[in-house]
Amino acid sequence: MTDLAAAGRTAIAKSSTASKVWYGGLGVFMVLGLYAFIRQEVGGQYVTGLTNATPWGLYVAVFVFLVGISAGSTIIGLMVHGFGRKGYAPLATRALLVGLIALAAAVTFIMLDVGRIERAVFVPLLDRNLTSVQFYSSLSYILFGLILLMGLYYTVKASRGMSTARDAKLGRWLAIAAVPFALVVLQGVDGALFAGIQAREFWNSALLPPHFAVGALVSGTAVMMIVAVVAARIRGRDLVSRDVLTQMGVLLVLFIAIAAPLDFFDFLVFRYSNTAGGDEAWQFLAGAQLPFSILHVGGYVAAIAILLSSKRRKDVRWLTAAAAVALVAVAAYRYNLIVVGMELPLLPFFANQPYWPSGIEVMLTLGVIALGLCAYSVLTRVIPMEEEDADPAASPLDATGQTWTPQTTGQQPAK
Amino acid sequence: MVIDLDRCMGCRACMEACKVENNTSEQIFWMNVFRYEEGDYPDVTMKFLPRPCQHCENPPCVKVCPTQARYQQDDGIVLTDFEKCIGCRYCIVACPYGVNFFNWKDPEDNYYGLDWDDKELDSVTDGAVPPWKNPDLDKRYGPDERLVAGSGHFRGTTEKCTFCIQRVTKGLDPACVETCPVDALIFGDLDDPQSDVSQTLRKKSSFKLKEELNTNPKVRYVGQTAPQTDGREIEAIPIEARD
Repeated sequence: MTDLAAAGRTAIAKSSTASKVWYGGLGVFMVLGLYAFIRQEVGGQYVTGLTNATPWGLYVAVFVFLVGISAGSTIIGLMVHGFGRKGYAPLATRALLVGLIALAAAVTFIMLDVGRIERAVFVPLLDRNLTSVQFYSSLSYILFGLILLMGLYYTVKASRGMSTARDAKLGRWLAIAAVPFALVVLQGVDGALFAGIQAREFWNSALLPPHFAVGALVSGTAVMMIVAVVAARIRGRDLVSRDVLTQMGVLLVLFIAIAAPLDFFDFLVFRYSNTAGGDEAWQFLAGAQLPFSILHVGGYVAAIAILLSSKRRKDVRWLTAAAAVALVAVAAYRYNLIVVGMELPLLPFFANQPYWPSGIEVMLTLGVIALGLCAYSVLTRVIPMEEEDADPAASPLDATGQTWTPQTTGQQPAK
Repeated sequence: MVIDLDRCMGCRACMEACKVENNTSEQIFWMNVFRYEEGDYPDVTMKFLPRPCQHCENPPCVKVCPTQARYQQDDGIVLTDFEKCIGCRYCIVACPYGVNFFNWKDPEDNYYGLDWDDKELDSVTDGAVPPWKNPDLDKRYGPDERLVAGSGHFRGTTEKCTFCIQRVTKGLDPACVETCPVDALIFGDLDDPQSDVSQTLRKKSSFKLKEELNTNPKVRYVGQTAPQTDGREIEAIPIEARD
């Protein structure tokens, strides 16, 4: 602990002007977020744009987006442990950190959304309802959080050269288990949270859980590409090789190529199902929600257009731009999904009430995101990262050069 | 409950009775009467649809509630335990009938300008309980003695029609049924063939709202057809919680 505190103090002392501007900016958003939080807690959630007609809004949309990032980035981070992709080794700790912080932020958004935070904390433990998907989603966050913490422990230990063979083996199995857990349990259950609601036509589709899983892969890959590029800028040297970055670009376009048709055909079937909801949804997507629809579709199209060019795929700036627009597309999709799902009238004569987040909602959202970014920035300075071992001579690769295994203390690493 | 749409004249006395009996906050309507029109000009029909909680036999809100705050009694009435509700609003999202209401702010700040602690009210009522503060709502009901009737309408929790559990327990009809001037609302035991509700259902054809969802509502409508997809609300009641 003392070591960590000392490392933190040293890091602050060595801060550059850019770093101070970065933390200063985050601080401003965090203070605004705190103000919004106090307003909401003192006055009640009437300070939000939510109504009984649209009871879920920005908080839930951001929550879903962040859980997707958590699952997706973790999978990218575990490429090295689970699939032996050695080129991804320098991303492992950062990815797990992103996963953990995104999950914590997502849970924070749920806590901000519920009316009684003090009771919500104990949902998975007390008075549980085994027929409620929300109970299982709460459990999945706790389990995934534990997986991430254990993964982080093994990864940090490995980067400090303190791993035993047992650690390496456990870390590998943990990574292998975490991938299906992130996709099937975390994202599947999250999708089912919405898909199982018969009353909301726009969500009531069996495609939603797999769609959530693919969306998580898109956003996770995009975030880790941005993380790799930003880390390289800060360090002044590449974090991962250009080839690995290009490979991530290929992965990104593949994931988008699965996610976009899922979006399209899911909506097509809904639109052609001859229900009032199909027409109404179209009116919302092409009307009040048009800016988000454009960001969603346009983002995917732009990312695909960039990444299909082999020349641009090798250019870091284009790769970063593709990752950014893909991330925006997923965020816009998640937002539209929640809002349009809510706004379709339950009965034909229910008046529609367009939802727009209030200033307090936006401030609080930005505040929590700033808090997450701040936590990430500080922790990447304090926690040792794999790049310390990036020197090929010290690279913890096995003899074949195929499988990445952590350095161990006097014992043979597991293969 | 059986609602005879041929009799309903859209006076909304039931809504008023519900508010007085259950002391619901501003813009919260456990009973809501929709006034809507169907058809195209000149063949337009004005219709009314009283909509309390449908007390479904297969209630989606009970299924999704993560804490069992929303539950179904043995007699079929669906209630909310205010001491267990975490305010996640999953029940609002899952209900196909829009009967749930969240307390977005402290109810005492949301009582049509009335102040719970206003001493001037005491002078008007001579110390009696203000008419809008029903003491029966603070009592506990059911075998588990749960706080379900409304009580303080706690901020951050969701609430809905209880079929006036505090009245039904005493053998009385819900306030809306009691008040309806044209007997459009009939309350009773659907399993008893001799009850008024069963007899009315035998006489007239009936429908359930959103029957295709198989929630099997215990509120049945007789006298007219189910709302058509071209229905347009004439006079929307704002259900936003705003200053």
